Amino acid sequence: MSDSSRDRLNNCDRLFHALGDPTRRAILDRLVTGPASVSRLAEPLGITITAVAQHLQILEEAGLARTEKLGRVRTCRIEPTGFHALEQWIRDHRIDWERKLDRLGEFLAEDDASG
Amino acid sequence: MTTTDSAIIHSTFTIERTYPQPPERVFAAFAQPAHKRRWYAEGDHEIQEFEMEFRVGGAERFRYRFKEGHPIAGSEIANASIYHDIATDKHIVMDSKMSLNGKPIVVMLLTLEFRPSGAGADLILTHQGAYIDWPQGPQMLDHGWKALIDRLEKYLASQA
Repeated sequence: MSDSSRDRLNNCDRLFHALGDPTRRAILDRLVTGPASVSRLAEPLGITITAVAQHLQILEEAGLARTEKLGRVRTCRIEPTGFHALEQWIRDHRIDWERKLDRLGEFLAEDDASG
Repeated sequence: MTTTDSAIIHSTFTIERTYPQPPERVFAAFAQPAHKRRWYAEGDHEIQEFEMEFRVGGAERFRYRFKEGHPIAGSEIANASIYHDIATDKHIVMDSKMSLNGKPIVVMLLTLEFRPSGAGADLILTHQGAYIDWPQGPQMLDHGWKALIDRLEKYLASQA
């Protein structure tokens, strides 16, 4: 497996943890419709702003969301990095095999030349 | 997808390749240990072990360690496989368990089919994997993260 694929394997641990919680998925569901402030995220979920902030921290660490403070308001938006890593991870084994089968082709061609 | 406490994700893919060499040559690259070692086992890592007994019920063991400079240098990947069905020049069915530092991460069923194609051969590889121990993986899939990704793509496109 390649260097980048091992990196992705480690990142995916965080990703799956982040996505495993229903509240965090509800936050992402809301964020895909557009950026929102922390308080506006908290309202429909019926949880405290502190709780939302904790969930957001986990989402940020997984590369799924991003927050920035503008004046007194903390705004949250979706971050594509984490989603791409997730898709990549599922495709990982396929890429590994694609490379191996390339090498098989090279090996057979060398074998032709030497034999 | 059913809701369970286990954290397993299933994924299947197929790869088709055409080689200019006939099926018996492509098959031999899988069947002969010295051949398979060259294209399959060698790479940018330190091979600890590569042993294969190419017969039905025979085992293949492939262990390697990442070299210095790699983000997880020193970590070991171990593949333990069993050959379940072999039809010379036609197909190979095997299973394989991949472990990272002794912890299983993927268990896979691998089917290789070899078919004549003109003077060459078609190789069809089908990989069916159970990806183990990803906390909350199935619950996440239940919720439909693929739909979420679709919506994310639309969102990003609308931002562009």
